[in-house]
Amino acid sequence: MRYPNPSATTRATLPATRDETDNRERRRRRELGLVLFVAPTVVFLVVFVLYPLLYNLWLSLTNARLLGTTPEFVGLENYLRLFTSSTFSRYLWNTVVWTVVSVALQMVVGLGLALLINRKNLAFGTALRTFLLIPYVVPAVALALVTKWVMNGDYGIVATGLQAMGLIDHRQSPLALPAYAMAVVILVNVWRSYPFPMLIYWAALKGIDAELYEAASVDGAGWWKSFWYITLPALKNTTIVLLVLRIVWTATYFDLIWMITGGGPAGSTTHLPIMIYQASFGTFQTGYAAAISVILGLILVAGVVFYVRQSLATNNTTR
Amino acid sequence: MDTRTRVIGPRLFSRLGFWLLVLAVLAVVSFPLVWMAASSLKPSEELFKTPPSVLPNAPTLTWYVEAFRDSAALRYSLNSLVIATATTLICVVLGTLGAYGLARFEYRGRKPIIVGVLLAYCIPPIMLMTPLYRLISGAGLNSTYVGVIVGHFTITFPFCLWLLISFFEKIPKEIEESASVDGASIFTIFFRIDLPLCMPGILSAGIMVFILSWNEYLLASVLVSSDTMKTLTVGLANYISSTEINWGVVMAIGTATTIPIIVLFTAVQKYFVEGLTAGSVKG
Repeated sequence: MRYPNPSATTRATLPATRDETDNRERRRRRELGLVLFVAPTVVFLVVFVLYPLLYNLWLSLTNARLLGTTPEFVGLENYLRLFTSSTFSRYLWNTVVWTVVSVALQMVVGLGLALLINRKNLAFGTALRTFLLIPYVVPAVALALVTKWVMNGDYGIVATGLQAMGLIDHRQSPLALPAYAMAVVILVNVWRSYPFPMLIYWAALKGIDAELYEAASVDGAGWWKSFWYITLPALKNTTIVLLVLRIVWTATYFDLIWMITGGGPAGSTTHLPIMIYQASFGTFQTGYAAAISVILGLILVAGVVFYVRQSLATNNTTR
Repeated sequence: MDTRTRVIGPRLFSRLGFWLLVLAVLAVVSFPLVWMAASSLKPSEELFKTPPSVLPNAPTLTWYVEAFRDSAALRYSLNSLVIATATTLICVVLGTLGAYGLARFEYRGRKPIIVGVLLAYCIPPIMLMTPLYRLISGAGLNSTYVGVIVGHFTITFPFCLWLLISFFEKIPKEIEESASVDGASIFTIFFRIDLPLCMPGILSAGIMVFILSWNEYLLASVLVSSDTMKTLTVGLANYISSTEINWGVVMAIGTATTIPIIVLFTAVQKYFVEGLTAGSVKG
């Protein structure tokens, strides 16, 4: 979008003085070069993405175990088992709660901080932005260990604080209480995932025409009115894309919950990714695990298709 | 000087309120990291004191000595370093080629490939875990560097491509065109013009891949069963899932795992921000 796309005209700009054979030779070399450039990517997409996904689909129709025995075709048995299991609906609900609350909070926090770093003439603006991006790269395991430490019932600063306020029992850890555990993992997840929405919103905010705000200000609109009638409508597309992307990533995000609670206490923080992991590496039922991931995938596919279409409509790489 | 002096009061107040808000945000964002680092420097009697002090009164490195005197943590660090470095090199070489081919030319089949890259970018590790485990273990690559590198390559490559495409698109095509008129082949153009111009972007994409691989937990944990081949994140996750956690030691390893990543990220964040905000979502 920023630069005109002249590749379609490249051939036309070649000097007309070159004779036909020379042109054909150049075109052949160009095509050979293209194949060399793009081939690894195509091979990657087929071998590392398409094939594993199809293989996963096949596994979900078999009685595959983690080790040994050749998988046998069992039809939809794994799916029937999943839909009739007593835990599926509960873990699906946990997934919904975890995803919806995490995404809503990280979008709001991200937008708020984007507005903050977008202020004109902000002192230390770049330093502030860089600092606020750091949670994006902090290893989940480091965050998990700090969480477990501050939530430690005997010595943790947060746990002992809650105990002192009388909210939980003496020497109790919030992570041992179903009512608290989900709230804790969601808040920690918001801490590590707000930078992405913040960055994307910040870029979108920079793209809004400043004259709009000036005009609004001349008309006597205050900050809230400008925000409501100019900023929010201008961020609509960005918000839709971000929402879909974050929902897909959050609903399938495994590491943080697993390392903080392991899905407990009593399954209160078990969501579908943990259910997949436990089926695969806890009870070694690979076929069953594959079926759960297919269902999770189908739930999210609608979102992904939507995201891709939105990106194609708004992204400069594809025009 | 503003003639409407009555607004100075509220404005001063809003400035003060603004910076108080910034301070509050900084406190919340830095708390987990500061707390981890501070805890790693506290001697035992301070670490287990309630209520705890924020900063260590008598900072000590004993936990670090204890953590890295044990050869396991050193071995994990080495494994992480080898795996992340190899993943980065493979991703950057293949990603640079792919991104160049996808960003600079117009041909049939380009659009489906880009859609494929986007889709691959959306496919989360948990969906690939089961098939990749079977395929990689089936090939006899469980608990090997190659196995984990293949896994990490799978999840970092689409991201790397996406970032690199946005960098290549920023180079004005007129430069290439004039070279093309002068008779340069597309290889010459690639190596002589685009590659040098894109170096900062390529470097930053490489560092982001390194960070992703270094931080990755799920695939590294399922693709490795032998203790000596575990990565730092997997080793650390095992330490904190045991019933008796040696808090001082895990704080020290956690801090040592995190600091290099923050330093690397800070060094390249400028390019990363440019790439991500130019390439991924525009609306």
